[in-house]
Amino acid sequence: MKNKVNFFINEEPVELYVDANRTMLNIIRDDLCLIGTKEGCGAGECGACTIIADGKPLNACLVLAPELDGMHITTVEGLAKDGELSELQKQFIKHSALQCGFCTPGFLMSGTALLQENPNPSREEIKTAIVGNLCRCTGYVRIIEAIEETAEVLRGGGQ
Amino acid sequence: MKEFEYLRPETVEEAIALRSKHEGCSVLLNGGTDIVIQLRDHLITPEYVIDIKRIPGLKKLTFSEEEGLFIGACVTMNELGDSEEVQKYYPFLAEAALTVGSKQVRNRATVIGNIVNASPLCDTGTPLYVCEAKMCIAGKDGEREVPIEEFITFVRKTSLKSDEIVIGIRVPYSEGAKGIFTKVSRRKEVDLSTICSTVLMIKDSYRMAFGAVAPTPIRLPKTEELLYAKTLTSKLIEEAAKLARTEVSPISDIRASKEYRLDVVEVAVRRSLEWFLQGGAAE
Repeated sequence: MKNKVNFFINEEPVELYVDANRTMLNIIRDDLCLIGTKEGCGAGECGACTIIADGKPLNACLVLAPELDGMHITTVEGLAKDGELSELQKQFIKHSALQCGFCTPGFLMSGTALLQENPNPSREEIKTAIVGNLCRCTGYVRIIEAIEETAEVLRGGGQ
Repeated sequence: MKEFEYLRPETVEEAIALRSKHEGCSVLLNGGTDIVIQLRDHLITPEYVIDIKRIPGLKKLTFSEEEGLFIGACVTMNELGDSEEVQKYYPFLAEAALTVGSKQVRNRATVIGNIVNASPLCDTGTPLYVCEAKMCIAGKDGEREVPIEEFITFVRKTSLKSDEIVIGIRVPYSEGAKGIFTKVSRRKEVDLSTICSTVLMIKDSYRMAFGAVAPTPIRLPKTEELLYAKTLTSKLIEEAAKLARTEVSPISDIRASKEYRLDVVEVAVRRSLEWFLQGGAAE
């Protein structure tokens, strides 16, 4: 039986009929063709599928498709506005906070969610926010620095 | 994942009716951080998945000194761990909740799910055991409360009947009680406990619970008895640590050997009691 779901993805309303035995990640990648969100482990350990749902970072691989109903989802494709990258995306580039890039969308979503909730995070808070994201190439120092500098720039820009 | 039907009741009564109607072929879905993986790996193949997340009222998280803490069925690990009252009155429980998985997982995983899943190493188990928490269960014939120690019966087995649902956990409060939570794991974050424990000092007694050392989380009655109404000394702590070792029956698995776990139990008891001896985070 198909389940009707209405939700928002990157501020666009979507109505779909989905099978219960698929995940939010399947819907985002296969039905909506938003392939920035990656599948790594499929078990909530690597964070490559991190999206922001109703303001909170979640693993899209651990959410069943029918649960999408009523949610507001942001994926990595929703971070840039009017063709301009978000500050965090710019800082990832500036700090070379990536190598192969597979984990990057997940880190960007965890970082974005953190800064929305806490514009002035300590280094420890940044680390806590990204413990659920694994990077196998570059290590984490540059990623942490990119998030730190984004926080500084956003705080400065708000004055 | 095999095919199944997704059901989303809007009241507890409706959820119970669905559990009765589909007895034996349904699972309850809460945060889903365990269930979705079990579905994916075909470890469970239910015909119906009953999602209780949208039932109003199950998000309740309340505290008063008289009533203690009530954790509704759908309260997430982050909601519990970030609660100011839980941090103030049950800091060891908040700490335990915040050691589970990652931020993403804790935004979904629920405390009740952690207990109902009944893993021997459930991180929120030992703090709830030492507080002598009660599971609030609703079924066709009304509500009942079951002490958590009687609720978890074996590895991944509980006394929950197939037509019941857990609506919350009641955690008694004792003024002046102090607790310390310990988690030993291979990696600090996003890992399962090799050993977890909570020691609670309550008036002139100590309560101790350990996870990952037996088929369920367990209390250590002999060690508790040894310490009852005594003043801690280095010698007594040493004696307690040795005795604790005899009260657990860990197995060897992917995370650690039996011998390592026995040693860690001893160390955890010693360090926890030393923390109390040194004044235990004096307020």
